[in-house]
Amino acid sequence: MNLYELLRGPLLWLSFGVFLGGMVVRLALFVATSRKKDKPIYRFWSWKWLWLSIVHWIVPVNVTAKKNPIVTIVGFLFHICLLVTPLFLLAHGVLWYESWEISWWSLSEKVADYMTLVAIGCGLFFLVRRMVAPHVRVITTAADYVLLAVTLAPFVTGYLAYHQYFDYYTVMILHMIFGELMLVVIPFTKLSHFLMFFVSRAVTGMEFGRRDAPSW
Amino acid sequence: MAEKAAEFNPEVFKKTSDEKMSARLKMWLEMCAHCGLCADTCHYYLANEQDPKMMPAYKAKKVLDAIKKKGKIDEATLNSLYETVYGECTMCRRCTMFCPFGIDVASIISMARGLCVSQGKVPENLVKVIENYFAHGNQMALTQEDWIETLKWMEEELQEELPGATIPIDKKGANLLYTVNAREPKFYPMDIAHAVRVFHIAGEDWTMSSKGWDDTNLAMFAGDLKSAAYVSQLVRDAAEELEVKRVAITE
Repeated sequence: MNLYELLRGPLLWLSFGVFLGGMVVRLALFVATSRKKDKPIYRFWSWKWLWLSIVHWIVPVNVTAKKNPIVTIVGFLFHICLLVTPLFLLAHGVLWYESWEISWWSLSEKVADYMTLVAIGCGLFFLVRRMVAPHVRVITTAADYVLLAVTLAPFVTGYLAYHQYFDYYTVMILHMIFGELMLVVIPFTKLSHFLMFFVSRAVTGMEFGRRDAPSW
Repeated sequence: MAEKAAEFNPEVFKKTSDEKMSARLKMWLEMCAHCGLCADTCHYYLANEQDPKMMPAYKAKKVLDAIKKKGKIDEATLNSLYETVYGECTMCRRCTMFCPFGIDVASIISMARGLCVSQGKVPENLVKVIENYFAHGNQMALTQEDWIETLKWMEEELQEELPGATIPIDKKGANLLYTVNAREPKFYPMDIAHAVRVFHIAGEDWTMSSKGWDDTNLAMFAGDLKSAAYVSQLVRDAAEELEVKRVAITE
């Protein structure tokens, strides 16, 4: 088994396993602890406030979108490209088909290429903002830079691989390593907001909601 | 310095933070993306020439940093934490409204105040006030005699203007139990009269209680949840004893 096969096979399984398993464990731990220590969540449970809270932030209909339109637009573009590009990339679809004979809709290669650039561009915007804006710099830790790099690395290497800049094999190996690395770190870092965003929005939405106060 | 250090109890600090670390607090402390969108939602940040150290996420991070040390913090760190959680946040929750994740910084600050309490770091006045609740059932250390007398006095004053207006005390089965801030009978008794005027004109079925009438809960501001529960219970007990339908609190 060469390095490519290792990354394409066992390590891919491992990283999907750690990613999904890690998220399930996080959620389970939250539920277990909250049953004992966060009883107001269950006492004031409200599907209405739960959904309203999530919906108002998953589409930008909230006070922050009005107050900070630029960060909101860049943030939404960043997240959309981050999620949509890898899931609907033609080349990734081919891999799924080769392994499982399953396929779904995919983006045109040109659109995917632009979306990759948008993701990288938005990431650079956040990098510069983090270094320049005093109120962002003051709360920045080394982990913030590392995680931004880990998030952008699959996109940069993916772009290089598609255009076959540098040595294709090496770039592709790096692309796979970074992609799998990103999946693996999600459950253990602030990137866990991938899932915990929904949990936090739900509990805060209900906490505000039980006082008839919207949290958006 | 050595004497002061003896007051620290790292074990207690760690034990308290473990006890207080709920699922939500842990999630919020860990998930903050450090995006900085909370900065200009905070009146401390805006009122201090946009000092980055006044932004909500920075204060929350300070709490997290202290907790991460598992009690192994020096006096300067504890003092700085104390200054932040008591002097630089009113726990108004405005930042939570603007946070994309809805992180409740106020809860984090409240928890950290509790941590300071565990190290004997509480504002002196707050300690005194909390003692008052236990000794007298209200923060101003008013005796029951003073309280009833104030109500009688207000009733008399009011009757000159509104004949027939009364302040029912300990009336069983009323619709409403009206509770006040103990500062009202102590310093601003006319505030009570204003409310009575409204109840009288509206024809409300209401009462005041001879005990458990102070609706403030300053123990809560110290993150001292055991005392806070005791204080809330005083009003609840009064409401249950008088079999009222609801409790109204003063503005």
